[in-house]
Amino acid sequence: MSTQTPSSSTGSRWKSWITAQNIVVVVVLLLALVFPLVVDRPRFWLPNIGVRTLWMGTIAMSLVFLNRYVGLLSLAQMTFAGICSYGVGYFSVTMGWPIIPSIILSLGVGSLAGYVTALIAVRTKAIYFMMITLALSQVFYSWASQAIEVTNARRGIAPIPRPDLGFVNLNDITTFYYFALFLAVLSYAIFRYTAKSQFGLAIQGIKDSPERMSALGYNVNRYRTAALTLAAFVASIGGVILVFDRNQVDPSFVSLDATLNILVVAVVGGIGSLGGVFIGGFVFAMLQNFAQDFTDRYMTLTGLVFIGVLLFFPAGLVGLGPIIRRLFSKRAKTSASTGSSETPIAARRAGKNNKKGQHK
Amino acid sequence: MKSLLKKRLLPVVAIAATAGLVLSGCSAAGGGETKEIKIGVLATDKGNLAFGMDEAKAAIGVSMAAIGGTIDGGEIDGVPITIVYEGTDGTSASAQTAVKKLVENDGVDIVFGPVSGDEGETVVQYALTTPEVTYVNGSASPVGMTLAGADNFFRFHGDSAMWMGGLGDYAYNEKGYKKVYAIAEDYSFPYDNAGGFFSEFCAAGGDVTGNAWVPVGTTDYSSIIAQIPADTDAVYVGLGGADAASFLSQAVTAGVQKPLIGGTIAVDTTALSGDANIAEVAVGTIAGGPVPGPDYDSPEWQTFVAEYVKQPKAFPSPSIFSILYYNSFNSLLLALQEVKGQLGSPDQKDLRAALTALEWTSPTGPISLDGNRQAIVDNFLIEVVQGADGTLTTKQISQTSGVAQGTKTYDRFEGCPE
Repeated sequence: MSTQTPSSSTGSRWKSWITAQNIVVVVVLLLALVFPLVVDRPRFWLPNIGVRTLWMGTIAMSLVFLNRYVGLLSLAQMTFAGICSYGVGYFSVTMGWPIIPSIILSLGVGSLAGYVTALIAVRTKAIYFMMITLALSQVFYSWASQAIEVTNARRGIAPIPRPDLGFVNLNDITTFYYFALFLAVLSYAIFRYTAKSQFGLAIQGIKDSPERMSALGYNVNRYRTAALTLAAFVASIGGVILVFDRNQVDPSFVSLDATLNILVVAVVGGIGSLGGVFIGGFVFAMLQNFAQDFTDRYMTLTGLVFIGVLLFFPAGLVGLGPIIRRLFSKRAKTSASTGSSETPIAARRAGKNNKKGQHK
Repeated sequence: MKSLLKKRLLPVVAIAATAGLVLSGCSAAGGGETKEIKIGVLATDKGNLAFGMDEAKAAIGVSMAAIGGTIDGGEIDGVPITIVYEGTDGTSASAQTAVKKLVENDGVDIVFGPVSGDEGETVVQYALTTPEVTYVNGSASPVGMTLAGADNFFRFHGDSAMWMGGLGDYAYNEKGYKKVYAIAEDYSFPYDNAGGFFSEFCAAGGDVTGNAWVPVGTTDYSSIIAQIPADTDAVYVGLGGADAASFLSQAVTAGVQKPLIGGTIAVDTTALSGDANIAEVAVGTIAGGPVPGPDYDSPEWQTFVAEYVKQPKAFPSPSIFSILYYNSFNSLLLALQEVKGQLGSPDQKDLRAALTALEWTSPTGPISLDGNRQAIVDNFLIEVVQGADGTLTTKQISQTSGVAQGTKTYDRFEGCPE
């Protein structure tokens, strides 16, 4: 499902918006909106689960966008977010500039980092692209760990208090949560819009057949560079949420662990689904907070959950929906063969499970 | 379209229901008011300081056993004490998650910990935002922690600059080192640790012939060893763990003839037990820190060591972490006993007054607090010696009493610290 057809009919415009994807989006959004009202300890749930889910999801979404629409797996998305976080810290705390220009400038710096990375990495693909982005992210990590004049080395820049932006006071945790939610939804909208735009169709074409698109006159590398820069911009939005969530920035933001966490979030949520990353982020945040209540070997538990998701839901947790649907559907066999978005393995498994059910 | 809609609606409802269940189920796991004292312990249980949790539990076990309790809790004057543990990986990120969970979700009255300096600086920042909770530090040692102005944060051990207390004078006056070259890891702990040494050494009249700040995990020291100027009297080694071991073995290979001065974690058992061939450079190394030499024999120390080794997962002898965690936790328990388990309100003022006024003789000497709620403690200078059987060990040179905190924090510096 790498390509999407733009809605053609103008008469049934409203109807065409009622898709499963949009319904999931609305339901998840409603849940996110009522989240602060239904949790009993907002001062714990909002920062540790809510806001964390949102920044992890936003950053992971930029990874998923590149993977799904451009066919490139970038391991530098956390680094772009971290660069933006560093920017906010450096401009607003070290330089003492006003907060709004600092944030805007930092978004620019994060995007610029994406652009520069693209210039270097865009001619490669598959594992080579992954290795180059990973290497560049590690270069930045090493630099951030040592550049005491800019990043304050290991100690990092702290404190970076949540500001009162004038029109909205982020000091209040509930307000900050909704601010983060707004940014996450905005990021999602940017990607959804881009995917359906001409530009989006072109990059999807490039993903499927770069040679053919090149023959048609498209400058493949330029399109990829633009897509990477856009993804870095969205990752930077995640970085803004992140830095005000943590109230500081230090090299652990851009460490290998942090990079891999984002990859895990993307895979658990569903590497092919823009919105699924928030489910992945939620599951990951829950594990980070509660896994050690059950076992001392909580890292192992997190790993097992990851392996379990990979084994049983190769399309990520968003792949769960179609699987459940098949379990209930009487026409499981036929729908498995005409199957839609998930991989053949998941479809086969769903079919098998259904067969077992029939025997009973 | 309709059937498609119907088919696709099912998973949506299922996901929504699951999410709803997860939310409601988990939020029920939250608080509940009790009249007990809940202490939340932060300690490292993964990463390169993964043994921190075991050492913390051993220390708390020794302390709680004295009042008839266990590592999970006990009772003071009829007030039950519950202790909950939260593991971290030594990074600021995990400490921030863990401390928020302890305070906001588990609803602890007192936070005890953390282990590493990176974590400590984060926890202090968080303490500033939660004045209703009292924080007692575990073993985090950055100087700035007790200078950040958090009235609810207490540290019952020295900072990493204080751990060098007396060593600069000793190196200059007793050992006669006039010029020292500095090699240290490039992060906050060695900044303060080396800053403590060199500020004293330079004030005594000493000079620095150069500083090499190396990334943590550096394994090749040959180019740095080659840079040591010929007119250097001694080399300061602000490295720890595997880095220190690598440096010592390469110093032997490269034929370094200069005597060494160790940072607090440079000449621990990891570095000394690694390779017997390092004897020619390691013997004679002087170092400072909160851990006394093996020949130290105060009665409080003997009692502590005897109790410590009975704890599950304890090392053959207490590490720096268990000593600091014990001194800190026992200070907290003594203050709780002082107020008979009544924390006082608002903001646990009785407990805080008792902590501030506390004076007791710990296994490593008398402990009291200064105006910044930072301990005034004894510090130990040790020297590496070779035992009769050829193994390397340490002997205590001196015990400096009443070492108090300075007023400045250190960053990476060139030459003498400013």
